[in-house]
Amino acid sequence: MAIGSFPAIGAALAIAVSAIATAYAQAKIGSAGVGALAEDDSLFGSVLILTAIPETIVIFGLVVSLVVAGFI
Amino acid sequence: MTRISVTGPKNNLETVIEELHRLQVMDISQYDGELETGSPGEEAEELSQLLVDVRSLLSKMPEVETGEQAFSIEKMQEKFPEISEKIDSLKAEEESLDRELEQLKEEKSFFKKLRGSGLEYRDLQESETLDVWVGKINEEEFESEVRTNRFELFQGESASAVVYSSDDSRQVENAIQDAAKERYSIPESVGDERKSMSALYNDVDSKKDSIELEIEQVEEEREELADKWRGRLEYVENFLTEKVEKAEVPINFATTEHAFIAQGWVPEEKYEEVVESLAEVAEGNIHVQREEAEEEPPVKHENNRAVQPFESLTDLVAVPKYNELDPSAVLMLTFPLFFGFMIGDAGYGLTSLAVFYGGYKVFPAGKEIFKSLMYASVATIFFGLVFGDAFGYVLFGHHSDLAAVTGIHLFEQIPLIFHRAEHLGQVFTISALIGLVHVNLGYGVGFYNEYLRHGVKEAFLEKGSWYVLQAGAALAYLVSPTAGIPVMLLGVLLIFIGEGVEGMVEIPSLIANILSYLRIFGVSVAAVSLAAVVNSIASTAFGAGGLVGIVFGTLILVLGHVFNTFIKIMEGFLQGIRLHYVEMFGKFFEGGGKKYAPFGANRS
Repeated sequence: MAIGSFPAIGAALAIAVSAIATAYAQAKIGSAGVGALAEDDSLFGSVLILTAIPETIVIFGLVVSLVVAGFI
Repeated sequence: MTRISVTGPKNNLETVIEELHRLQVMDISQYDGELETGSPGEEAEELSQLLVDVRSLLSKMPEVETGEQAFSIEKMQEKFPEISEKIDSLKAEEESLDRELEQLKEEKSFFKKLRGSGLEYRDLQESETLDVWVGKINEEEFESEVRTNRFELFQGESASAVVYSSDDSRQVENAIQDAAKERYSIPESVGDERKSMSALYNDVDSKKDSIELEIEQVEEEREELADKWRGRLEYVENFLTEKVEKAEVPINFATTEHAFIAQGWVPEEKYEEVVESLAEVAEGNIHVQREEAEEEPPVKHENNRAVQPFESLTDLVAVPKYNELDPSAVLMLTFPLFFGFMIGDAGYGLTSLAVFYGGYKVFPAGKEIFKSLMYASVATIFFGLVFGDAFGYVLFGHHSDLAAVTGIHLFEQIPLIFHRAEHLGQVFTISALIGLVHVNLGYGVGFYNEYLRHGVKEAFLEKGSWYVLQAGAALAYLVSPTAGIPVMLLGVLLIFIGEGVEGMVEIPSLIANILSYLRIFGVSVAAVSLAAVVNSIASTAFGAGGLVGIVFGTLILVLGHVFNTFIKIMEGFLQGIRLHYVEMFGKFFEGGGKKYAPFGANRS
């Protein structure tokens, strides 16, 4: 599908910025989580969940960029 | 689970402990009341000291597969100092030989660098009137800078030696400083001082060989020692571990001057067995009774064999509470499907199956998890066949690559059920629908849990209200807003009554949770594209023709798909499992149970 240049830039920004946001959040949670695991490795499941939570941000970014690009 | 207490006279303590250890059913609780707690058996301290010693000795021994060999503790205690001394001395010997070898290696490389310089070892010795410098030097630069001629420069294979008069040391050393790249230190005493550099090189080389031989011998000796003792030590270690466990368990009991009380949990169906066998060994001098429990009982998973591998995935988050549904069964139903749908490629299904089978064999600790992942691989193969994909190539239908390669046109006859790579737009919708179903499945399990705990009314208010809300939304979207919005408001009201403000905050996250399943679409796109990228690079190489093209293309295919296998395992596992942990378990799972750990059961 052909889309205009502004929607294309918008779509790119939506996914890029949300990916950076997710990465930032996961970096902070991940490093704290590894610290927690060093103390008590039974926390693995909870740490995995906490690390996974910000991933939703980038999924939203993906949805928005697909909407802007006219995919849905 | 039933809470029991076992009361008996102290002289029966040991027999009772033996019997409980043999039965492996009682999860013993720590007593905390007004009575004194018991003290560990007399030999406990000595035994645990010996256990520590045995473990440290085992850690020093080379790993050899011998299997356990029966051996008596007394004999082990007797032999222990001898073995320990021997292993320590062998270790020390090996270390000193290693150091010597290191030094010889350095000397060897030094003499090699000066080979062909015509120097003898004694020429390198400094005297009152002569100084020596050995290293890498830019000779031309050195010779042009140096302001004296009372020196001599010798060139070896890859280093130079400068011998100079002590009187002119300033001039020479200044020039060296400017022109030198590296300095090598001269090895100390090497025996015959009249030997040339290359003769010394050969000497050191043969000395090095003999040291290496000695190291090998010492290692052999250590292995022999391990062969002889490791199995016995392992046996003694296990035996002692068990002994210490038994000797220390009275710490958890309540005791009076002449009696003891042990409290703990046994599975309901084992209660009679415990009562009978304890009465038998204690010859009737024992009293077992059920008790009222204040604390939550420990939790034992109870699943059929197909679900068991998924228990460890559940416990990774939290052990379920005593009175909630074990989500392992849900994991077993949907996790392999998610994994399989996301990767959806028969080729990667087979390779990942191989990887997981390897993991299953190599890492016994993760056995159960690898088993559960093998389910996922099978699902991947299934979806791969449905989608008609293997390593990104089309298996079936009119454009079958498989038919083109093999020449068997039968493959073209098999219809493509759903060629995912062409219908990614539909995968998007399917993903959202999967989310809708899965999240609601979560509410369904939550409903069941609440129903068990608080009855049907609470269950409807807390979990059923979410169905009302969603039904309202569906009505508003499909029929008309006037019909849907009142139902939605009713749903919100019910949620407020059921879960309070917390529930209100949760409402927007319902949408977020369902949208989160779009990652299934995302990973699907990545899965399709990654395979296609590898294949297109490879086909360019094949297209270039010639032997180089074929070799290069094959290499790209193999490496690329191996890489893809691992990245897809990671994506499929992480994304698949997180959809369960975060989005679904959040709807019903509380966890925080204590795992049932019966006394005497093997914990390794």
